[in-house]
Amino acid sequence: MSLSRREFLKSSAAASAAAAVGMSVPTQLQAQASQAEGGWRWDKAACRFCGTGCGIMMATKNGKIVAVKGDPAAPVNRGLNCIKGYFNAKIMYGADRLTKPLLRVDANGKFDKKGQFAEVSWKRAFDIMEEKAKAAFNEKGPEGVAVFASGQYTVMEGYAAQKMMKGGFRSNAIDPNARHCMASAVVGFYQTFGIDEPSGCYDDIELTDTVVSWGSNMAEMHPILWSRVTDRKLSDPDRVKIINMSTYTHRTSDLADTEIIFSPQTDTAIWNYIAREIVFNHSESIDWDFVNKHIVFAAAAPNIGYGMRKSNEKSIKEGKYTPAEMEIISKEMSTVVSQKEAPALEPYGYKAGDTMVHNQPGLKHWLIEFEEYKKSLEPYTLDYVAKISKGDPDESIDSFKAKLQELAALYIEKERKVVSFWTMGMNQHTRGTWTNTLAYNVHFLLNKQAKPGDGAFSLTGQPSACGTAREVGTFTHRLPADMMVKNPEHRAIVEKRWQIPTGTINGQMGQHIMRIHRDIEDGHVKFAWVNVCNPYQDSASASHWIKAARDMDNFIVTSDGYPGISAKVSDLILPSAMIYEKWGAYGNAERRTQHWRQQVLPVGDSMSDTWQWVEFSKRFTVKDLWMKDVKVAWGKKTLKGISADAVKRAGYTPDTTMYEILFANDRAKTYKIDEKDPIQAGYDNSECSGDSRGVLGSDGKEFKGYGFFIHKYLFEEYASFTRGHGHDLAPFDVYHKVRGLKWPVVNGKETPWRFNTKYDPYAVKAAKEEGHPEWTHAFYGGFLKKRPQGDLNGIKKDLKLSYADKPGKHYLKNKAKIFARPYMDPPEMPDENYDTWLCTGRVLEHWHSGTMTMRVPELYRAVPEALCYMHPQDAEKFGVKQGQLCWVESRRGKVKARVETRGRNKTPKGLVFVPWFDEKVFINKVCLDATCPLSKQTDYKKCAVKIYKA
Amino acid sequence: MKTIVKITLSLFTVSLLFVGCGNDATPVTKESVKPTISEESLGLRKTNIYTEAPETTGDVTNYSKNYTGSGKTIKRAFQDAPPMIPHDTDGMLPIKIKDNQCLNCHMPELASSMEMGATPIPVSHFTNFRPTHNYDGKMFTKSVDNMKNEISIKETTHLQGARFNCTQCHAPQSQGKLAVENDFEAAYTSPDGAEKSRWSGTSLSDSLDTIKGDAGKVTAEDIENKDSVYRNMEH
Repeated sequence: MSLSRREFLKSSAAASAAAAVGMSVPTQLQAQASQAEGGWRWDKAACRFCGTGCGIMMATKNGKIVAVKGDPAAPVNRGLNCIKGYFNAKIMYGADRLTKPLLRVDANGKFDKKGQFAEVSWKRAFDIMEEKAKAAFNEKGPEGVAVFASGQYTVMEGYAAQKMMKGGFRSNAIDPNARHCMASAVVGFYQTFGIDEPSGCYDDIELTDTVVSWGSNMAEMHPILWSRVTDRKLSDPDRVKIINMSTYTHRTSDLADTEIIFSPQTDTAIWNYIAREIVFNHSESIDWDFVNKHIVFAAAAPNIGYGMRKSNEKSIKEGKYTPAEMEIISKEMSTVVSQKEAPALEPYGYKAGDTMVHNQPGLKHWLIEFEEYKKSLEPYTLDYVAKISKGDPDESIDSFKAKLQELAALYIEKERKVVSFWTMGMNQHTRGTWTNTLAYNVHFLLNKQAKPGDGAFSLTGQPSACGTAREVGTFTHRLPADMMVKNPEHRAIVEKRWQIPTGTINGQMGQHIMRIHRDIEDGHVKFAWVNVCNPYQDSASASHWIKAARDMDNFIVTSDGYPGISAKVSDLILPSAMIYEKWGAYGNAERRTQHWRQQVLPVGDSMSDTWQWVEFSKRFTVKDLWMKDVKVAWGKKTLKGISADAVKRAGYTPDTTMYEILFANDRAKTYKIDEKDPIQAGYDNSECSGDSRGVLGSDGKEFKGYGFFIHKYLFEEYASFTRGHGHDLAPFDVYHKVRGLKWPVVNGKETPWRFNTKYDPYAVKAAKEEGHPEWTHAFYGGFLKKRPQGDLNGIKKDLKLSYADKPGKHYLKNKAKIFARPYMDPPEMPDENYDTWLCTGRVLEHWHSGTMTMRVPELYRAVPEALCYMHPQDAEKFGVKQGQLCWVESRRGKVKARVETRGRNKTPKGLVFVPWFDEKVFINKVCLDATCPLSKQTDYKKCAVKIYKA
Repeated sequence: MKTIVKITLSLFTVSLLFVGCGNDATPVTKESVKPTISEESLGLRKTNIYTEAPETTGDVTNYSKNYTGSGKTIKRAFQDAPPMIPHDTDGMLPIKIKDNQCLNCHMPELASSMEMGATPIPVSHFTNFRPTHNYDGKMFTKSVDNMKNEISIKETTHLQGARFNCTQCHAPQSQGKLAVENDFEAAYTSPDGAEKSRWSGTSLSDSLDTIKGDAGKVTAEDIENKDSVYRNMEH
């Protein structure tokens, strides 16, 4: 690469020595600048917010953050941040930071569920948590103790929580808010690839010719990725095409060549239309060589419900749901096939008016012939798909059809590279897993997957949904590095690594995040701890959960930096250190792991979530948690206690604490606190060394630190699960010297495109082992690779598919799957009483429930309230006016919001959008907690409401 | 000065507590506390969250109606923070590929020639920080080495495409009271830091070596991870 006068290329280590970077700076000014920055310390960190995972440079002075700038060395964002990214500088300084634990007490200072809050010591806080968690455990078993976990945990926090829950409490009642954001993508990955996380990387953006955004307002939700897309578009405006697929017009439409406004839920039909165009009308575009070598076809049952409560559940039987709510919830058991979905369900043997009994497990799937897949596509003609999916009543059917044709043509065009991005529109969907797999179908048929500039690419919502929630495995069903709670071999591997007796980890799972809420309402979960999330604001059908928290006999704890809705409905609130007040690591949507150091001391007496978990673990011994037989599976099964012998063989006594076993063991102590270590030198470490605040710890004495480097220990132990298994993480120290690396990191090299033998050492290895070193791809993920055979209507025991050796289970080693998936209606759609679709989501300036961003003046002032975006003619129809309050009411509840008919979001008639960041516009009271039955991810993008004047 | 006072106070409190601990092995045996903090007093929503009372409404948006060119600006929140929009944006948005009205006044040559005092787009927005990697249709290779934190900074004459979406960083501001005050204290490295970006020239690459000198380089030993007991632990 040649260097021109204005182009400089150098390592940052040498950067400070350079006199100029392509432009002149007056010497005097320079001297002034460096003098004034004298007391500043710059360090690298990761942004707190979305899944893009930008790198920031952060300045501290006198122990406080004073500035943030984009990091020119960070490959993700190269010197640029979005508005939230810059204002990371202020997120920790809201005046109402929680500084002390708060407990509800009575007039005598005793705990009282109905009391008001009082400041208490950390010791008192842990005393009552210990008492309540033990009582819950003893009464209900491990399932009675639950954790609302997070995709915003640092890797170390998530690992500590997971270890204490699964290794200590033997409880799988831990599930993250990432369930609400990523679960459908994950199940899509597992079913398609047999391994989690995307094939591509962000470099795809600069290499592609076409960006199709499906149900993803990237311009607001992944602004830096959008800035890269914009840059690519502007660099070659005629060649590069951008298509925005959405149910309403938003900022991503602003730069798009074409926007396609479709009716909610019909993205499944549009994906099938594209596939049908390929298979029926452009079969020459199918890369049969690729498909035959690397792909098989699969099907599953359609009658799988909508992830709502079932009729036999306790709170349903007790009448906690109103008749209006039951109108929708009853569809969990059976539905009547509508005219709209009938053609799509015809290949599965249904016709309009049939009763569909929902009694099939969603995850089960089997292999089929290509011809069967083709049969499933037959209904998706241009006429049918255009008819059901046109989302704007004011658009002509011909115009809409032309756009669908254009979309299909762009995918099919031979020399055209295509990246499909999606986020919540496809994930928060009662058929979310299906829709995710449909995206891969199209890319696979055309051999446009896992190649530079080509691929279906699921974007993650949260900063460490990938890195912590998914990879560490803070889900009810997961263990680190794609291992599964259900798999006895995986449990054994983890038990061995954790040095805990065989049989400690409970194989019974199922308490996903909505199930935890429902179990609290049913009285099954008695103790719940909220970590780095806000489940009482962010969960649909919210009225039920806030009521259950306050009215049921239970104990709810929330750890947070600020008092959000979850803190308010809790019995105990713990003040948590926020992101730059602790050492940490996040993993972003392109598999990039990024670490940072503790920049400042935590505010008040707040301490990190890692510390809180480790202190909590001191309160529990082997005999408290391991040695009793306990009930699991909602009382239906018994999990045997660990025998005294086994405890002894493991090197413990009945009185050994979980702290000694899980956190302060001999291996942990090999990670030394060392001021000479260039990574640690000059940086605080509140958990390991204590700090100048002298916080009184969980024993009432000044906390002076663990004396070893617990973050490094937790990271390295976790990383040991990933290494050698296709998820390889680099050493802790390496991450502190570079701007993140994309796993798998093998021999110090990151992996840009997985499954591609040019770039992924695991693909190379798989191809070689298979005797096919010439393969371009190997989909080596090992999960769900032995499948039964059948046709669209089910498993056929004696059937032998053309690509199988014999009937029965077929091993599709190194292959990926294309799935037949029909369009199906969502459970709630507009009708005469509730005549409008409601869609919720975020805005650029606020993060999730707004606890941080509403306290940053610039972000608050940018968007101080959640507005109800609607079409001007709808406003007229409803008798409401721009800027005035309206009620948004569903079968579940109602909230007031101001009407916006001219803002950044322009909805078609019949649909309104209300974001959820605003506590005062508590829109999740209105939303429905229907989920994808496979992934258990809530559909926040569609329910039915009515709008009227407030 | 304010900071110093705060620090002294907190040190004083800590030392008091510390003395308390020193005198008594179990100092906090009986905590006497009073229920003084109501649920409603916490957080942003001060009304009951279980019902939707008439007084529960969002904080009304009230953007400035200042016309463009009124000469009013909003101070940068800290050194090189993106400035917020001081004027009415009605009719100027959305930004389209062929229609970015922000540029009509804020392009540096226009901003400086106009009397209205539009803030000129700074040089950082004309600087390309993104290296162009190598792809010949067959093999992709990087043009910079991330293991060495290499950067590529190129001054150009055109506004960078990555910075085309002005509203990604710059937003109008609603007037009136904040939901909650913020204790962030701004610091500027230059006297006019609240008005101007100083992020240009050498400062673009300043301080990127967050671990100084050779210690910041990734070595073969680092990759080998020899000090970690988990280094070769396979399962």
